[in-house]
Amino acid sequence: MLDQMLVGPSLAEIRTLYDGKPDEFVKWSVAPQRKRPNVIEMPSMVHVGEEGLRAIHEHVMKVSKGVKVREQKEGDPFAGSPPHVARPQVQRIFMPDAGPAAIAIALDGNVSLCWDAGECRLRYVWTGGFIDGHPYWKGNGSSQAKIIGKVRYKESSAPIPLGEPSEFLGYRMEKGLPVLRYRIGPQYVTETFSPLPDGAGFSRKFTLDPPLKDAQPLTFPSDQNITYTSDKGKWSGSNLTLQAADTAEFTVTFSLK
Amino acid sequence: MKTLILLTATCLNISAATWTDHFSFEKIPNPPGIDPQVGAMGALKDGRIAVAFHRGEVMIYDPSSSSWSLFATGLHEPLGLLVEDDGSILVMQRPELTRLKDTDGDGAADEYQTVFDDFGMSGNYHEFAYGPAKDKNGNLYIVLGVASNGAPIRKEVRGNFLEIGQVDRAGMTEGSDWKTNSSKAGRMYSRVPYRGWVLKLSPDGSKMEPYASGFRSPNGIGFDASGHLLITDNQGDWRPTSPLYDVKKDGFYGHPASLPWKKDWDGRDPLKVSVTEFDALQQPAAGYFPQGELANSPTMPQIIPDGAFPKAMAGQTLIGEMNQPNLVRVLEDEVDGTFQTALVPMFDGSPLGIGNNRMAFGKDGSLFVGKTALSWPGSNGILRIKWNAKPFAFIEKIKALPNGFALRFSEPVDPGTLGEIAVTSHTYKYHVDYGSPKVDEQGMKVNATGLSSNGLTLKLDTGALKQGYLHKIALTGLRTKDGQSLLGGTAWYQAVKVPTK
Repeated sequence: MLDQMLVGPSLAEIRTLYDGKPDEFVKWSVAPQRKRPNVIEMPSMVHVGEEGLRAIHEHVMKVSKGVKVREQKEGDPFAGSPPHVARPQVQRIFMPDAGPAAIAIALDGNVSLCWDAGECRLRYVWTGGFIDGHPYWKGNGSSQAKIIGKVRYKESSAPIPLGEPSEFLGYRMEKGLPVLRYRIGPQYVTETFSPLPDGAGFSRKFTLDPPLKDAQPLTFPSDQNITYTSDKGKWSGSNLTLQAADTAEFTVTFSLK
Repeated sequence: MKTLILLTATCLNISAATWTDHFSFEKIPNPPGIDPQVGAMGALKDGRIAVAFHRGEVMIYDPSSSSWSLFATGLHEPLGLLVEDDGSILVMQRPELTRLKDTDGDGAADEYQTVFDDFGMSGNYHEFAYGPAKDKNGNLYIVLGVASNGAPIRKEVRGNFLEIGQVDRAGMTEGSDWKTNSSKAGRMYSRVPYRGWVLKLSPDGSKMEPYASGFRSPNGIGFDASGHLLITDNQGDWRPTSPLYDVKKDGFYGHPASLPWKKDWDGRDPLKVSVTEFDALQQPAAGYFPQGELANSPTMPQIIPDGAFPKAMAGQTLIGEMNQPNLVRVLEDEVDGTFQTALVPMFDGSPLGIGNNRMAFGKDGSLFVGKTALSWPGSNGILRIKWNAKPFAFIEKIKALPNGFALRFSEPVDPGTLGEIAVTSHTYKYHVDYGSPKVDEQGMKVNATGLSSNGLTLKLDTGALKQGYLHKIALTGLRTKDGQSLLGGTAWYQAVKVPTK
């Protein structure tokens, strides 16, 4: 663009660098180098030929004469977009510390989580807000979203030790929250997160179809500032043992300390 | 006075025709608060238009009330959609093909069903996903862009990482010395499954067949009216200029980064294989968009429905374009079973503008053009283009002959202007470098004597056509019998095959 950086420098900026320097302009066009991080390197324009590049230089200097480089506004111009401010909310986007098929879910105004559709498991939960997707959205996806708030809970593996390769099946929206569906071996699983009142944490309802044939211990991380409770099974530390029949439907509650 | 009237009439007659004499260009209001970069579009049966935006909203535009409603949110860079018979919408987003269904009839999707996600993602920004196109048996075709060495891969990837080439996984991953490693990675690279491939899916998405390889940044996939699977790609490394392909099963379409995912690939680094070997393997493009003249980043193919534009255009294919302020119309030809095309500009010199990423036709024949930029040159929002039913002069058809072309026009041509026709031909260099200059560009001697008595068909004798060359047929000086110029008066014909008779 004439006065503003888009995919490359503005013509006005090129003028500040190459006014009266056609030789250097040709050199740059033939062998461009990365001048800024997070910006695509221009491919070589060698095919245009020296004569053509000199003509382009002359043209750029002519049209950019007297033009000032326009400062780009910071911040997300669509931060107040109705779908962005809605709570709860689901947004698929590149997220930090997760696989590329990540789903960010805001349960309410405070508690949010990152669920990984590639691995079919919860990655982490944070409080204090949702995401800033502008680093991704302002460009073409070369940056990840940022989380707004503080990570309060992390899982390094799925709590149900089924072990088979998993298949993500999508989700159904119920009252604005997704009922996540996936398959692990023969088991069709749903996983639904809901906020606890007053931002105190979240609950997580699982259903397994068919239920497991044997009693199963579920392992949750022990070193987190969480109090675990559930509607079924017995706890031993952060391990929950469920009777086989209980695995058809059970809910674990995570109270943040 | 009589002289003045005559003079005025003559002046009017020789004035060049303009698109705005025949089409209206109206910007439709963007939905409030939404980033209006359009990633995907499609028409619903009832004439409403489904539009997917950059940040993942799918919204429905009702032309009868000029209003928007929200159908779905939160998708990851949707770049293709297909409206199904039951009103559900298939959307290709970065990580998966998703079916959006409104099961409770409240006008918004409540089911987000994963139809297919069994392909790799390295987290690299350039791994865009496009489609789906549906064949007559209901099979779906998607196409996956390759990664760019403008960035490394992320720490976590989906799918198996391929240890091939000069840089190992650690070296390809963010945090490595990418300044050094990027030059060894390949300008574009495919390190997770099926980047650079067309995948054919069974109608329910449960079965996948790797269908064709060799794609770079294929931001356009769709069937034409006669069932050719058309895919456009962007000029770049291994892409001398942007091509149009007629994609067949097991074909290799020129960009080698994808080849290591071929079933019988021998494990070689594609960067170490000779150009000659790839050249022998690749399928020829059915058309070329000359860079800087017709298109730099062509986009989706869209069939022109009956009644929308002049009759002769019904069933022809339009292609969008990001960087030149025009769309492209495809004139199909066939020589001994080989599909090849002439490409002509549409709406050049009109208020169309750039960034023309996606298209859909409304029930009244309006063409909706959705625009995007994604930080590259482009635009945003939606333009509605409507023909006013007034006939105009354009090229209806071009057929290759052994020594020239047979052309058909929509209006009778003035034989006195045949001397204005110019034909040149050139080819390109297929190589690893980014783009190619025109190679062996030469003028052809034109003998335009074969105008039919009704002025509608013309046989151009140019001497022998050149196989594998792009022939530019400039008809901008041509006038109709009532003095009008052609709209879209230049055609680029790719002679994949030259007819022998």
